Formats: sequence, structure tokens, C-alpha cells
Amino acid sequence: MRVVVARSIDAALAALASATEASRILAGGTDLCVEFESGRTRPDLVVEVGRVAELRFVRETQAGLEIGAGSTCADLLRSAPVARGADLLALAAREVGAVQIQNRATLGGNLVTASPAADLVPALFALGARVRLASLAGRRELLVEEFVTGYRATARRPDELVESVVIPPRPAGEHRAFHKVGTRRAQSISKVVVALALGPRGAGARIAAGSVAERTLRLATLEAALARGLARERLAQAVAHAVALDTRPRDDVRSTARYRRAVLERVLVRVLGPWLEPEGNAA
Amino acid sequence: MAARDQHGPGAPFGAEQPGDKRNTDFRVVGKPRQKVDGLAKATGALQYADDIALPGMLHAKTLRSPHAHARIVRVDCARALALPGVHAVVTGAEMPIKFGVIPWTQDENALAVDRVRFIGDPVAAVAAVDEDTANAACRLIEVEYELLHAFSDPREALTRAEPAIHADNKHGNVSKHVHLSFGDVDAEIARADVVVEDEYEFHGTTHAPIEPHCAVATYAADGLLTVWSSTQITHYVHRALARVLELPPQRIRVIQPALGGAFGGKSDPFSLEFCVAKLAMKTRRPVKMLYTREEVFYCHRGRHPMQLAYKTGATKDGRVLGVDARILIDGGSYSSFGLVTTYYAGQLLTGPYAFPSYRFDSTRVFTNKPPCGPKRGHGSVQPRFAFEVQLDQVAEKLALDPIEIRRRNFVGEHVTTVNGQRITSNGFLQCLDEVERASGWKARRGQLGYGRGLGVAGSMYISGTNYPVYPNEMPQAGVQLKVDRSGLVTVFTGGNDIGQGSNSVAAYLVAEELGLEVSDVRVVAADTDLCPVDLGAYSSRVTFMVGNATIDAARKLRRQVVKAVAEAWKCAERRVRLIEGRCIDLEDPQRSLPMREAFHIAEARFDTLGATGSYNTPKLGGDYRGGTIGASPAYSFTAHVAEVTVDVETGRITCDKVWVAHDCGRALNPMLVAGQMEGSVYMGLAEALLENHEVNRFGLHSGPNLLDYRIPTSVDTPELAALIVESLDPEGPYGAKEAGEGPLHPILPALSNAVYDAVGIRLKKLPFTPGKVLAALRAARAGGTERATDAASAHSAAARAAKGAH
Repeated sequence: MRVVVARSIDAALAALASATEASRILAGGTDLCVEFESGRTRPDLVVEVGRVAELRFVRETQAGLEIGAGSTCADLLRSAPVARGADLLALAAREVGAVQIQNRATLGGNLVTASPAADLVPALFALGARVRLASLAGRRELLVEEFVTGYRATARRPDELVESVVIPPRPAGEHRAFHKVGTRRAQSISKVVVALALGPRGAGARIAAGSVAERTLRLATLEAALARGLARERLAQAVAHAVALDTRPRDDVRSTARYRRAVLERVLVRVLGPWLEPEGNAA
Repeated sequence: MAARDQHGPGAPFGAEQPGDKRNTDFRVVGKPRQKVDGLAKATGALQYADDIALPGMLHAKTLRSPHAHARIVRVDCARALALPGVHAVVTGAEMPIKFGVIPWTQDENALAVDRVRFIGDPVAAVAAVDEDTANAACRLIEVEYELLHAFSDPREALTRAEPAIHADNKHGNVSKHVHLSFGDVDAEIARADVVVEDEYEFHGTTHAPIEPHCAVATYAADGLLTVWSSTQITHYVHRALARVLELPPQRIRVIQPALGGAFGGKSDPFSLEFCVAKLAMKTRRPVKMLYTREEVFYCHRGRHPMQLAYKTGATKDGRVLGVDARILIDGGSYSSFGLVTTYYAGQLLTGPYAFPSYRFDSTRVFTNKPPCGPKRGHGSVQPRFAFEVQLDQVAEKLALDPIEIRRRNFVGEHVTTVNGQRITSNGFLQCLDEVERASGWKARRGQLGYGRGLGVAGSMYISGTNYPVYPNEMPQAGVQLKVDRSGLVTVFTGGNDIGQGSNSVAAYLVAEELGLEVSDVRVVAADTDLCPVDLGAYSSRVTFMVGNATIDAARKLRRQVVKAVAEAWKCAERRVRLIEGRCIDLEDPQRSLPMREAFHIAEARFDTLGATGSYNTPKLGGDYRGGTIGASPAYSFTAHVAEVTVDVETGRITCDKVWVAHDCGRALNPMLVAGQMEGSVYMGLAEALLENHEVNRFGLHSGPNLLDYRIPTSVDTPELAALIVESLDPEGPYGAKEAGEGPLHPILPALSNAVYDAVGIRLKKLPFTPGKVLAALRAARAGGTERATDAASAHSAAARAAKGAH
């Protein structure tokens, strides 16, 4: 195993040029070090980017809020611009592990590991985030939903590094919410995690859920219903329909498929209910 | 007088209430005090086993069985031994003698000899220059297994004897069966006005101490083997090492360093203690082994899963006439303390309520799962849960208040129970009064609206037992005091401080008796070379027994000092008093000495100063086989009221507050007592709502880590009122009884009873997961409470079959 400790983005990209499918990027190490210890992962190349200062920033730009992939959960919790422009991300960061984990775990790491139970990823979905990738071959940008492709799988090529994510400016009047149901109240992996954004009269809804399929996903059926001006009275039915159509939960050590569906429905009804107009008032 | 809340806001420790004269005769005890090791703990200076690092020390690792049940055909260590950095390998063949705490059921080997009985059973151990090398060597050991049928269902083990998990066990796969009957149960239940019969289930939980097991051994050129181990019973480790290693015990020294939690999980001798000893002997180098968290989960010895069927008959005014219990206990793969567990499951239920008749039939079976053993509230938490829920069902049928039915069945003070246990002091009625008052029970129960409720439960527990584990007539606890010319008194005790504060208690008692500052007393504990034998930290015996032995020794020493000073002063001994670091003449205020000088006078008069003290229980228990098991010199009593909110949409139960009243005899340090009450409640609460030591049908643990095994975080723990009730026991040290285990019991049934008050579903199978709650609510809506609970059971069985956890 070859280890390259990169001090700059350029150095990291140079090292990654020879990367293969078996190579790994090490940032905070909260996922990878556990895998090393268990022997599950035996990479040919490890590129350590935890000391690359250029990856750790938050800046407000024309395109929106740009957050460096090396920002830790603790950085997200402390950042005023994040609190203004990407509040869901701060709410999600607070739910990640314990304080020690929050001090190590990075935004980029959570995204690239792409666990279906990731806490930050649904927040990125709901915020409509774009992922900026860099390699020696150049730079490209993907919508976060295009980036996460499956169970712990992403569109990142082995030679690419996630540099940052860009959160578009918050539309006027947008409601946002984050809700996690874990196995206990803190330091837990989610049974269900929900992040959502909803414009006035249901416009531009982005409803993201984790731990209810092999990857984080958006509840397209529910978003469509909301866009049509769903009335409060019909919410429970629409939610049940969407959960049945859009999610693929399974039984595992932390919960059952049945409970996950039930609790996802309840969370959505509770969160969305107060924002919807009663019948008659709806568009 | 109302008990003070020793916990939470607005109740500063030690705030004297006007007219509170209880502790005015004492200068040290009865007041909140720092633990003697408190500062070292808080600053991180305390030395735990894993902090020990010796020159040339090797690190050892264990190879464990990947199969739940298999015969070992062949073990080949040649490739492991050839790995650079490996110093020695040890296998079961080198330590074939079996051990076990209970002399009649010694069925464990340090390393498997010819058979493995659970996934995780140790097979071989390697000592190498570091852990990574030792792990790599473990992977090079070749073991050939022949797979055997693995038992996972205790009911199957009950009826199927082949293949026998222990070939030399006389009763197939039955580990222990106890059937005891007191009075005419059938006749009493036949004449009852109301009978409730039901089934309950406890799922199995483990201790999860923050410190994993660790041991370090050295073997000196002169043949002295020294083992430092994170054990809670130094004496039994000492005995077991001598037996298995075939060494004379006088060539072995066992030391317990500071311990990071045990809760019963460090009561057995463990494989690592034998392995580091054997590897140190083979390599002549210090050897350390530290278990991983995963290994701690597989070593287990946690609370037994039990299936409990109870029948209670009562008169129409709520008096219990008879209780009939049948209990099936899943013991896992080894006996551990299982013989005692099987007795405790029945014997410890006969208080705080009077049972005119009582029968229990309890059977422990072997299965191919991690072995169960003693966990805080050993053997009695599960039956207590079943009975306290059943008592609520009886109260419901009779339309009686649940606290009132408990009052009406109070067993009394200074009585003998139906199974022959001597109860001395008993503050249970005051415990009920306290939780009733503090929780606002009368005004609030049944009045909180749908979704919120209150539940009550009671319990009792032992302060040590007079069953000495291995038969002998010697004291259960011994203490030795040594006086230095500086004025320092050193206490040598075999008692194990496992965080409960027993070393601190020993220091308080010596300071009290000799009129010293606590800082002028040093405690040396749990070192078999230096300290008199104590049987260790289990069954809540240390404060009670070591406390009594300490007072005994201190009084002997005090008499010597008083006699010598009285002679020097040419006055009567009754005039000489040791107080606040000085020796004074009660009748002549001008005459006094610093304690150091009084010690000098005594040493000059008598010889090197010192004293020994001991404690042994009086003869106790019923005159029948097993009658001494569960017989204790004093019993503690507890009552809880729990307040819950049930979210009927998500099925989540939130415990909002717990009121705990505990009769600990006398609170030698109310802060330590409140700490034990708090820890007990949170541990029990998590067992009911969060934790599940689940082993699937292949024998694999469902989540052997602290992320998936959900001990509570600070935000999962409710507000708590710790109400100390002091009944002043005639047998305890200054009247003290236990406080470390009793306060755990009532929370589990109190939660179930509170959920019934909140939403009308009767949860009888632990743990109370959101999925079970939702299923029970669905069934209740479909029609009737009885069907509701049945459906909940069916659902839980289905969920288990699906390997799901909600």
C-alpha cells in the first residue's frame, strides 16, 4: 500500500492520477480507519487530504454558498454563513456521531462514502447542492443526486477529488426541515433521516430521505403531489402513497422495513402538515 | 420526615434540614464526601490495567471460534510461531484443567481443548512484539473444526440432549433445575378471589463497562507469577490461576488496579488472565492482553434471557395468597454463576411483599451463545419485572390503586419470609410514601391524558449473601490496619473497589472510629500479597461486609490507643476520646494530644501498632437444600414511580421522570448512594427501552459495538429524584445496607405499568421497542386489551424471526 500525504489540492490530484478503483482518499478517517481496522478495505493507494487547508473553507459566491469538502462537521456547526444559507447542513452535522467524530468527519467524506444512512447527504439533496470535482484532466460539476449513484457508490472517478459543494441561494419563502429518528437520541445511526425544502404553495419541493433505500433518495411522487398544491387533508394519503412507491427500506440490525415506512410517514406528515393550506385554500 | 432529594436541581448535597439530628453523632459518615480516588479519576492520573507498561512487555491476542458449536479436530500453530515478532503461542492442550467460580459446575477451559461452544470461544493465544503482529499470527493458526448442531432456542435445549454442549453434564443440556415449594400454593390459589396468570419475557442484556477487560502478567526468576487484572474478584482469580496453571497459590500474586466499571461482568475468571500468565511463564517476559470491545461483548456474562410464567392468586381486598412461577433461563454456553442465578430467580422474590405460599420451578439450559452470568441485580431483575407487572394486573382487576396494593402486602420488619429469609430493617413503606408524595401520584395518576402515564413498582435486594461460593468457615471479609509514626493509618482490604467507592467507605469508617481526617487514612486494596482475603465485589456485599470488618479492626486499634493514653494520663479510659485528629480528655479540656503522639504512646506501650478485623454472616437461610442461596444479613428495599410519554404515532416511549426511594439502612455517604441509585435507574431504563444483547440463530451478535448496543447517552436519561430512606439496620456497618443493585429492579416494571396508565397497553415482553408498542396499539384498536398484548407477543416473535430490531 502506497500512502501519499498531500499538502495541496495539486499534490492530491497528482497522486490521484495513478489511482485505481481500489484506491482511497483519507480525510477525517472516521469511515476509513474503521475499515482498515476490520481488514475490509485493503487499498493499493491512500491519498491523505486531511491537511489540505485549501479544502477547508466556506465562502459566499455568486452561485451560492461554496463549502470546501474538507470542512468538518464542527466547522459546519460553527459557520455563520452555513447557518444562514445552508441551515439544514448545520442541523445534520449536529446529528453526526459524538463531538470527537464531529471534529474529524468531513463533508466530503460523508458524501463520498455515500452510506444510505448518511446524515449530511439528505441535507445536501434538500438544498439542491452541486458537487465540484477536480482531476488533472479538469474540473466538473454534478447535481448531488447525480453524484450519489447507489449503495456506497458515487459518480466520482478514481482520479477525481471532491473539492467543494455549492449550495444555491435560498429562495424567498422556502420552508426547510431536518428530522432524524435514531436508535437513541444521540450518537446513533438513523432508522430514518429526512431533510426537506418546500417553496410557497408546494413549489420546488425537495424531499430527501435516508436509510429507506440502498441510497439517499428524493420522494419524487410526494414532490409532484406538493407541486400540484396538495391540501392538508390529503397529506397523509399522499405521503403513504409516496412512501410505498418511492422507498425501498429493508430489515437490518437497527430497524425493520415496516417500522421505517411507518415512521417516515409520520415524520413527513408532522413536518409538512403545518405548512400546507387546508382544502379550499389550496391552489 | 420526608427524604431529601439527593439529586437534581435545588438539592445541594449535605444541606442540613432544621431538626435533622440523624447524623449528628457522626463526624465523617452521613455527609457527602469526595471519593478517595476522585481527584485521580477526574484528572486521568489513575492507573488502570491497560496503563501498565513494563520493560520488554509483549502483547497478546486471542484466536476465537467462528463456529457456535464444533469439535476441534486439529490445531496447528507452526506458521504462527514462524512469523517474525511472535514469541509464543498457547493452546488449550497446555491448560486442560477446567475452572469456574462455583466449585460444582467447573466447565470452562482457559482455551478450548476439544470443543468450542459459542462464536467467540477462545481457542489459542499469541504473544508478540505488538498487537498487530499477534493478530497476524492468530490468522496463521490453522484450526480444523467438525461442526455440530448449534442450539439457539432454550426450549430446544430443554428437550434435546444430543449433542450435549457439555459431555460430562449429567442432565443433557439442562444446566440447573430448581424446584422449591413453600406452603400449599394450589390450595391458596384455589381459594383466591382473583387469579392472574400470564407470561413475560426478558431479552438479555450485557454490562458494557467502559473499560474493556485487561490483564498483565510477569513471571519472575524466583518463580513468582504476578497478574494485574481488571477483575472484581481478586480472590477467585487467585484460586483459579493456581488450579489451572497447577502452581502453588503462594507463588501467585493477583492485583486489581483501578477499575473502569464492571457491573458483574468482571466476576468470573476470564481466558485472558490464564493466557497472559501462561505466556509470561513461557516467554519470561511481561505479557499484556486487552480485549477489544467486540471481545467484551462476546465474553458477555450478562443478564440471562428468561421466559417467565407467573400465576398470582389474591383476596378481593388485594392480599396475595399464593404465587406460582415457572422460569426458563437461557444460560448460554457455560455455567458461570448459573447455579446461583437459577436459585436467585426464585428465592429473591419473597419480599417486600408477604407470600403465604410460593412455588417456583426454574430451569437453566445451555445454548451455543455467549455465556450469561451475573449482572447488577443478579437473577432477580427478570422475575421482579414479571411479578411487579402481574401485581399491577391484579390491582387492575380489583380496581385497587397500585401503590395501595403494594402497601397491603407489605411483609413487615424483623420477619422471616415464606422461604426462610430473615428480614431485619425494612423501610419499604416509607419508600412507597416517598415516591407517592414526590410524584404527586394521587392527583396525577390516570389524570395526565391519553399518551402520558405514571407507573409504580417495588423490589428488594441482598446486602451480600451468606453463601460463600466455596464451602469454608473462615470470615467472608478481613481487614488489617497498620499505623505509621506520621499518624497515617493504612487499611489493607481484599475488597474490590470497582467504582462503587468501597475504598472510600473503608477510609471513612476508619476516620470515623479513630477521629482522623479522611486524608490521614490510606487504603491498599485487592492485592493478594498484601491484603487479607475478601470474597470480592459481587452480591452488593463489600460496603456491608468489608465495612463491618473495618469497624471491627478500627475499634480494636482504638481500644489500644485509648488504653495506652489513659495509662499515661493516669485517668479512666472512658475519659479518653479520639476526635478530629486529636486525643482529648473529656473532663479536662486543657489536656489533649495530636493523634500522632497518641499513636506514639500506644506503640511504646504495646508494640508495633496494628489491628485486624473481620466479618462473617450469622447462620441464615431456610433449612433445605439451597436455603442459604439468597439468604442475606440484610435486605435493601426500593420503590420507583416512572412517568412516561408514549408517542402513539412513532411508538416511542419517553421516560420523563423517575422518582426513586431506596432504603439503604444508613447512607454512609449520601452522594455515593445517590450516584448508585442514579446509575442503577439509567442502566435498568436502557435495558427496558434501548439495549438488546441479541444473538442470531447462527450465534452472531447483532451489534457488538457501542454504536449498535445502545447504552443511554446523557440526552436519553430522564430527570431523576433520588430519595434516600434510612431504616438503620441492626446488622449493617452503622446501620448501612446495599445501594448498588436494588435500585435497578423497579424501573423496568414501573415503565411497563406507566405505559399501561398512558395508553392502555400491557407490555410484558422486553425490550419495549417502538415496533412492539405500535403493534400493541394496533391490536388494541382492533379490539380489546387482552388481544392487544397477545398480538404484541406474536409480532415480537415474528420480528425476531425476521432478525429485525425496531
